[in-house]
Amino acid sequence: MATPIKRAFRTPLAFAALVMISIVALLAIFGPIIWGAQASEVNISNMLAPPSWEHWAGTDALGRDLFTRVLVATRLTVLLTLEATAIGVSGGILFGCGPFLLGPRFGKAVTWFIGIAVAFPGLLLALFFAIIFGAGASSAALALGLASAPSFARLCQTLVAGILARDYVGAAQISGSGRFRILIRHILPNIGEPLIVNATIGAGSVLLSFAGLSFLGLGVQAPAYDWGRLLMECLRSIYVHPIASVTPGVAVVLAGLAFNLTGESLAHALGITSLGDLGLRAKIRSLRHDPSITLDTDEPTQDAIVCVRDLHVGFPAGLDIVEPVRGVSFDIFAGEAVGLVGESGCGKSLTALAVAQLLEEPAQVWAHSLIFHGTELLDCGNDNKETTKARNHLLGTSMAMIFQDPMTSLNPTRRVGEQLAELGRVHGGLNHRQARLRAIERLGAVRITNPERRARQYPYEFSGGMRQRAMIGVGVMLTPKLIIADEPTTALDVIVQEQILDLLGAIRREDGAALLLISHDVSVVREVCSRILVMYAGRIIEELPSADLDQARHPYTRLLVAAVPNMTTDITQPLPTIPGRPPEPGPIVGCSFSPRCPLADDRCRSTDPDLITNGNTRVACWHAGQPLVQIAEVVE
Amino acid sequence: MTTEVLAPSRAVISNRWVRFAFRRLGRLIVSVWVVVTAAFAIIHLIPGDPVRAAMGMTVSPEIVEARRELLGLNLPLWEQYLRFWRGLFTGDLGTSIMTGLPVGDIIGYQLPATLSLALPAFLVAIGLAIPLGVTMAVITRNGRARRTELGFVGTSVVMGTIPDFIYGIIFIALFGVSLHWLPVAGRRGFTSYILPVVALAIAPILVLARIVRVEVLAVLRTDYVRTARAKRLANWQIYTKHALPNAITATLTLAGMLLATMCISTVFVENIFAWPGLGQTIVGAITSKDYPVAQAIILIYALAVIIINTVVDLVLAIIDPRSTVSEG
Amino acid sequence: MSELTFHDVSVHFGTSRHRLIAVDHVNLTVGSAGILGLVGESGSGKSTLARAAVGLAPITTGTITLGGKPVPMKGKNRPLAMIFQDPSASLDPRMSVGDSIWEAGRGAHGGEDKQSTITHLLSLVHLDPKHAKSYPGQLSGGQRQRVAIARALAGKPQVIIADEITSSLDVSSQGAILNLVRELVDELALTMLFISHNLAVVRYVSTRFAVMYSGRIVEEGETSAIIDTPSHEYTRQLLAAIPGGSS
Repeated sequence: MATPIKRAFRTPLAFAALVMISIVALLAIFGPIIWGAQASEVNISNMLAPPSWEHWAGTDALGRDLFTRVLVATRLTVLLTLEATAIGVSGGILFGCGPFLLGPRFGKAVTWFIGIAVAFPGLLLALFFAIIFGAGASSAALALGLASAPSFARLCQTLVAGILARDYVGAAQISGSGRFRILIRHILPNIGEPLIVNATIGAGSVLLSFAGLSFLGLGVQAPAYDWGRLLMECLRSIYVHPIASVTPGVAVVLAGLAFNLTGESLAHALGITSLGDLGLRAKIRSLRHDPSITLDTDEPTQDAIVCVRDLHVGFPAGLDIVEPVRGVSFDIFAGEAVGLVGESGCGKSLTALAVAQLLEEPAQVWAHSLIFHGTELLDCGNDNKETTKARNHLLGTSMAMIFQDPMTSLNPTRRVGEQLAELGRVHGGLNHRQARLRAIERLGAVRITNPERRARQYPYEFSGGMRQRAMIGVGVMLTPKLIIADEPTTALDVIVQEQILDLLGAIRREDGAALLLISHDVSVVREVCSRILVMYAGRIIEELPSADLDQARHPYTRLLVAAVPNMTTDITQPLPTIPGRPPEPGPIVGCSFSPRCPLADDRCRSTDPDLITNGNTRVACWHAGQPLVQIAEVVE
Repeated sequence: MTTEVLAPSRAVISNRWVRFAFRRLGRLIVSVWVVVTAAFAIIHLIPGDPVRAAMGMTVSPEIVEARRELLGLNLPLWEQYLRFWRGLFTGDLGTSIMTGLPVGDIIGYQLPATLSLALPAFLVAIGLAIPLGVTMAVITRNGRARRTELGFVGTSVVMGTIPDFIYGIIFIALFGVSLHWLPVAGRRGFTSYILPVVALAIAPILVLARIVRVEVLAVLRTDYVRTARAKRLANWQIYTKHALPNAITATLTLAGMLLATMCISTVFVENIFAWPGLGQTIVGAITSKDYPVAQAIILIYALAVIIINTVVDLVLAIIDPRSTVSEG
Repeated sequence: MSELTFHDVSVHFGTSRHRLIAVDHVNLTVGSAGILGLVGESGSGKSTLARAAVGLAPITTGTITLGGKPVPMKGKNRPLAMIFQDPSASLDPRMSVGDSIWEAGRGAHGGEDKQSTITHLLSLVHLDPKHAKSYPGQLSGGQRQRVAIARALAGKPQVIIADEITSSLDVSSQGAILNLVRELVDELALTMLFISHNLAVVRYVSTRFAVMYSGRIVEEGETSAIIDTPSHEYTRQLLAAIPGGSS
């Protein structure tokens, strides 16, 4: 816990928050001791004096120095704030965790009650309790505390419910832990951080609300004073002395901000922190034109639908760039199905998104050439409105994308039919009616029954498999030359997967579209594609016809094929395994697979092998085709 | 089912929406019941004798007893409760302990003043916050325009934290006392509205704009926006047709809460600008323990909140049909 | 004898108006010392059946017995343990690996030394004992699943329920976990119900399996027999759908 907090206060804003909250704390402790007497010194001869060297903020209606009064009032203000916050948080924890301890029936009642209470603003609840308890400092603290309890209770409930859904709670239950033990050992430690963060932010708003109540005369009563009370007293003399009336207000805002910012900084630190750098773009531009980047390729192939040469994808990381895709070259010919396989994090999805021109900043894409359907897509430098428009039209009509998760890839607020028809109107030159009819026809073509009714429905009314069909329907709304499918069946069941793959095959045969199928599952790719590209650590390390997959020459490909059991795997032998993990994107010396490779020697570890073309295959390995020694199970 | 096939597409949703609306109105009734009961309970939750507390120690027991009789506090509890409900429907909300005026008259006179403050602030806040938030999201998406982003976030955090009563005081000190530009007290003419409405709306505008920006940015990162980009739609089509409706869904829930809070915040603004509305009266009623008045006004506020919440939910159900499915 | 038997077990969710029958009158026996596979698609009820066995889902009808006696659903030292799908959700991020394992075995190892128990369990799953002090966030997915397996073994259970334990892992860890499961079941003579949507994985670890479809067991038998001559229509579809499958 110490590290993220340390990290939190490294940003200037968080540092400022820390300084502010420390000042507030110091004033609260020492303010009344140092200035207590001075602040209550009445001087009738110097009433409502304007700011001067002696009285920085002037004096009040009894001639007392306003600035020291503001400093002294810090203690009462902070104490009351903490009191109210403590009441709110304890009430919140009690009602938020209570249902878990007391069982579902009582829990339901509490949840219902909290649900109604949180619908009302805290200020309204505070006024409600203020009527009951009357005006006064402690009753205002009680009122504000009770008023903030429901939102803390809701927060606790949400947090607890989140933890309860976790399997480790299930595991603890199975091993015989009681509810109380689970609460202490698993729930409280895991909700502590967000609770503290929210209590800090909550204290900020309690402080502001308390100032409001005191300002209205419902909080602290004379002769005691907090900032709100001072504000109220100053408002009476605002016509004589406008500056003085603002001084306590400044204190209120600064202290409120101090709590808020401290909480926000904590929240930020416990989440994600990363800041890009502005100098990077220049660096990437220079990389693009770096002649020393070697090309492993000949000239672009003429009759390919897609022709990629030395494609790179980079992301800024601190002052440097990491390159998850490091020089990828391949062709896809008309009507061909090509598979791209590899473990997660090898750069296959990024490659696909780069080809589809769907990567946005901060990702940077550069390549020797990236040609789709005869058009260079990375024509940086001579971009203008016309060419951009023409390129978008080309991509819109001729390239289709299908993504992994059909549950999130369709817009939940728009009818499925509209989502297809839109493409027909924007790029297909169809009018509303034509586009609608075409959309219905296409939904039928992707084997959705009753397409007319389905077109009017929203995605949430579709099952996962149907949504993926609808996504394919979007893809074939016009006549694509290339369909890029990124893990299109990973989220689906086996039988549905088979149907979707089948459908993709049929669509492809009808329209003559090429397919780039990205998958981690070798068996899926092998079934659908005629040619396979294997990626590892941002490079293509082997290319081969899928029929030859069992005779793969790269040890990674062979291990990848063997490590996944299929219906013909020898069940008497242990599965071959690939120890370790793929490398993180970053500088790599030697062959990127060498740390995990059973064949690795010194040359592999020092020099990266080139991707050598041999007929219709390519492979990048110093030991291509050598037999693998069976690797012993390695202790991780 | 058969009607769905034949009917034009609009009918399918509106049927569902009507069903949702009925369920939502059911919840409204429950909320109203809870609120009325809570308001009724106030006088019975007060520690000690509320009438004695209100009238002070010097008043003779006979007068206190008479006032108790007048307030109906000597009746059995259930009868008081029924009377309270009947009073709500007939507009008879009792009489003020302090002034002896009918509470209904006080509210009838002051509610329009409060509404004339809350509604414009409401519209200004929504009308400015959403375009501001969307614009900031578009400008700063994917880490673009970092300085603008820092500037906006910084300004909105600081200015969104400042409570309305402090804006009010600053405005009076600046525009009223120092510059003499605008009137600072009372409700006379268009210019008297400017400062209170701005004081009320300014923090919510910034808070809401920040939320809108975050929501739009989150939506711009979703898979379906990537799908929309894969369709090579123009940017404005992606923002208006795909991003905004989804960002609004999440925003509106929070906006409803913010607007409800703004409604209650009129209490502060009215007290600063001497606005003759409910807010001034309830503060006076609380300090002088004039319970019937305080009870009635808090009930009005609570009902306003319930209405805002219901309207927000109903609007949400039109924009995002999924929200009709969840528990309702 | 540690034969786990489901007698006519049903699990219903929801209210009487919106009822979801997740498990529908299931009869199934997991024979002692060996692995029974359970195959089905998402929503078929296989995970609910697993959760019912360990008391995490309420049983509407039927009984679950172990060696003829009802499975205890309360109290410490329970004879059943479970390994979950996603190790990043099934390990408490705020608890060290050693503590997680030790907590699960509280009832089982009375006077044993904490350190040596943890070391022993970690070595059983081929993890370096130095990881006892690590937190789940510091481990890879495959390592976390090994910890989860060690935790399941800690209570010295008679039966282990493994629910989709490889489906959230990368291909390179999947094979290693499958090897480990087979090795442990052989060495420790464990009884295991191995649930997966992946028939090829089930075929690799178990000699018998059952097929679950919309809450019911539609087929059960020897692995090779079912694959060669499936009797239920759903099983036939499932076999035909496997990429690069038997056909």
